[in-house]
Amino acid sequence: MGKENLVANNPLRALGLEKENSDSGQRVGLVMARAGLGKTAILVQIAMDSMLRDNKVLHVAIGEGLEKTSSWYTDILNLMSQEQKIDDFQEVVNEVMQNRMIMTFKENSFSPATLEERMVDLAEQGVFKADCLVVDGFDFTDTDSSSALNELKGFMEKNGLKMIWFSAVSHRDDDRVSENGIPAPCHEVDDLFDTVLLISPDEEEIRLKTLKCSSACTVDAGKSLTLDPATMLIKKA
Amino acid sequence: MSVDLSNVRNIGISAHIDSGKTTLTERILFYTDRIHAIHDVRGKDGVGAKMDSMELERERGITIQSAATYCNWKGKDINIIDTPGHVDFTVEVERALRVLDGAVLILCSVGGVQSQSITVNRQMDRYNVPRISFINKCDRTGANPERVTGQLQDKLGLNAHMMQLPIGLENDLEGVVDLVTMKALYFEGDNGEIIREEDIPADLQDQADEKREELLDAVSMFSEELMEAMLEETEITPELVKEAVRAGTLALEFSPVFIGSAYKNKAVQPLLDAVNSYLPCPTDVENLALDLDNEEEEFPVSNDSDDPLIVLAFKLEDGRYGQLTYVRTYQGTLKKGDSIINSRTGKKVKVGRLVRMHSDDMEEIDSCGAGDIVALFGVDCASGDTFTDGKLTCSMSSMHIPDPVISLAVLPVDNKAQVNMSKALNRFTKEDPTFKTFVDHETSETIISGMGELHLEVYIERMKREYNAEVEVGAPQVAYRETIAQRAEFDYTHKKQTGGSGQFGRVAGYMEPLEEGEYEFEDKIVGGAIPREFISSCDKGFKKSMEKGVLCGSAVTGVRCVINDGAFHAVDSSDVAFQLAAIGAFKEGYLKAKPTIMEPIMKVSVEGPSEFQGSVMGSINQRRGMIIGTTEEGNYTVVEADVPLSEMFGYSTTLRSLTQGKAEFTMEFSSFKPVPKSVSEELIKKYQEEKKQ
Repeated sequence: MGKENLVANNPLRALGLEKENSDSGQRVGLVMARAGLGKTAILVQIAMDSMLRDNKVLHVAIGEGLEKTSSWYTDILNLMSQEQKIDDFQEVVNEVMQNRMIMTFKENSFSPATLEERMVDLAEQGVFKADCLVVDGFDFTDTDSSSALNELKGFMEKNGLKMIWFSAVSHRDDDRVSENGIPAPCHEVDDLFDTVLLISPDEEEIRLKTLKCSSACTVDAGKSLTLDPATMLIKKA
Repeated sequence: MSVDLSNVRNIGISAHIDSGKTTLTERILFYTDRIHAIHDVRGKDGVGAKMDSMELERERGITIQSAATYCNWKGKDINIIDTPGHVDFTVEVERALRVLDGAVLILCSVGGVQSQSITVNRQMDRYNVPRISFINKCDRTGANPERVTGQLQDKLGLNAHMMQLPIGLENDLEGVVDLVTMKALYFEGDNGEIIREEDIPADLQDQADEKREELLDAVSMFSEELMEAMLEETEITPELVKEAVRAGTLALEFSPVFIGSAYKNKAVQPLLDAVNSYLPCPTDVENLALDLDNEEEEFPVSNDSDDPLIVLAFKLEDGRYGQLTYVRTYQGTLKKGDSIINSRTGKKVKVGRLVRMHSDDMEEIDSCGAGDIVALFGVDCASGDTFTDGKLTCSMSSMHIPDPVISLAVLPVDNKAQVNMSKALNRFTKEDPTFKTFVDHETSETIISGMGELHLEVYIERMKREYNAEVEVGAPQVAYRETIAQRAEFDYTHKKQTGGSGQFGRVAGYMEPLEEGEYEFEDKIVGGAIPREFISSCDKGFKKSMEKGVLCGSAVTGVRCVINDGAFHAVDSSDVAFQLAAIGAFKEGYLKAKPTIMEPIMKVSVEGPSEFQGSVMGSINQRRGMIIGTTEEGNYTVVEADVPLSEMFGYSTTLRSLTQGKAEFTMEFSSFKPVPKSVSEELIKKYQEEKKQ
């Protein structure tokens, strides 16, 4: 069996993400957690799921190296394949990784305009036309973050991107939250997101809570999935 | 004989091409009184730098072979290996690192951490080599040592901190501020040999205080004494800081960064002080040997000159006076006239001449102790061999040698060239384990293979220059491989019993893909279906079949052959009959086992101005490359991709024209991967046509 197995049995199915990047509309998602709790692991699982479904994913890593970002994908795919039987794993790896490109930026050199310029360039050269965008390390504490997000959303609509997922760091000592329960620093821009997930460690396990879920989402806000603390893979319900 | 090993440093100098490491070595030799004049790498005086002893190296301005030299700085004996910067010569770097205790990583203050620095750093990690960094060329326009230190942290993951601050930069580089002693150092005299120590210039005082604080914070975790002194706000002596830096460096948890300009003779002496202070002596690092009497169990060498001898030959060179073998003594004392035993061959050899190397020159010595690096004359061995005095049966851990990925045919122009070429190839294959040669029996061509175009180009040049062997060279060919994707059965009978002495043999079994390794043979015959004496014939037949696959004539790898049945004839069965039966069986099984052609994939890294990023990526895309990603930093972008080697020929020209010569690329072997169907069909067609001719 090939990659179909990985798609069908992906615990992310519980969130109905395959509906989110259907042609019906563009969606914006957010994964929040305190530092070091595994936001990148979740983003990569969302990206991987999209890649396995033949979408082209551009992973933008801000403040992180290329090698480290790339190894997240290798590790996650290896772990996923240990849970599902795959006949020719290497072939699947080769095929799936064709659907991914990584761009890394220094914190101070990232801007939506630069990203747009690069993406248009890649599409024009026929190198890579992204269907989905994953932005890891975006600075939501920046005062201009709202306009930058709107800029990216505009770019998304103009270029027909199916989805954008962001990650954001929440802080234990900052108790500001939005009406929907979205913690700071994203509490003031929560209307820009269709889906918001929060990684939350309980005493015994790590949970992936759904704080906000758009109509296409199959779980109600407040429901949660469980993460394997050793691998950070989302566990099957 | 007992030598105080705390006074010995075995260090390597590694870096990206053109970071100026040979220039730096030249200055080191000058300041340590080993040479009495400084010559530039591409100097107008026509002498060339001391360490670039090969004519070709001087012409191209890069180091191809590493040379060993020795110097003494403030009472410490320093053995230096100057290692090549080009990735095609990686084996030289790896060999050097295997025998060294510490290293100096040279970086260009403008170029910063470049692709080859990353490769070299990875190699240093592999061999746990403590390292210090030297940011060279601070006199160049655009020099920014602070940015480079940041790259050492971000790109190489080193806990790197500046130990000095520059006094002026670019054309205004005057000297450095030592953050340990908090003194300003200026380098004067014709060759910077006079060091003037002054107070820190007033305009740099605040910055120096701030940087020193950062440095102390970073190294305090390696010394309780320093941490206490900081907490109690008592005097922090330079010795206390040095101890902490040394402890962090040896534990590979801290990497001190020094700055200067070797070309302008600025701040090379403080780097030598740092080698003495922060890099390990032989007893600071643990080297492991394998006990051949005890299932290759690892044991640490003692570093004691009075213990039984263990010596590793890490480099061979054909010098003016015969074969020169570079060795490192790990324990015991090696004396002129001693008989030593090669652990691999069991052969006893006599140590005729023992010399300490200084690039092309040498000093005769009578003995050398543990931790020393010297050279022997007239000892026949291969690179990587271990020698003992017979009291121990051991070998030093094996070295990582990559497989060759490119080959080309060489044709001598006449008989004299043929003889000379044979001599040269014999020598080169002994010197360099990544350089291989064989004769293609079908075309009678001599094929040489290696790690890249430049690698082979250099050997062809050396054949011409050193051995006077004029050769015609074919187009470079990619070293494809064939393998199988699934298990398949075979049952083949070789029968030729029509007149004269007959031939008969039947071989049955199966073949399957082998995860690791090239070939495995298993005999599962029961009841004597194939007599014992013919089992090895079957093995030989399979091995012969592996030499040339049927798809494109490349070597077959990753196959496990199992025989479980067969038949023989009392009179007509023979060694040859069973070999031929195995060849037939292999062919039968192979075609059913989904054979595929694999091609070498190179990890390519292109570095250049961001404005050319799109064109660079487009060019990689056109070459069947898979772009992993990009790293954008300031106006520069690094594009990393996996690209088939077959598509990389002539890429330097393409890149030059695409980027107005502003981008550069490096590549190294990554893995073998199956070729796409269209390429596979083309290769098969081409091979069939060649066979017909």
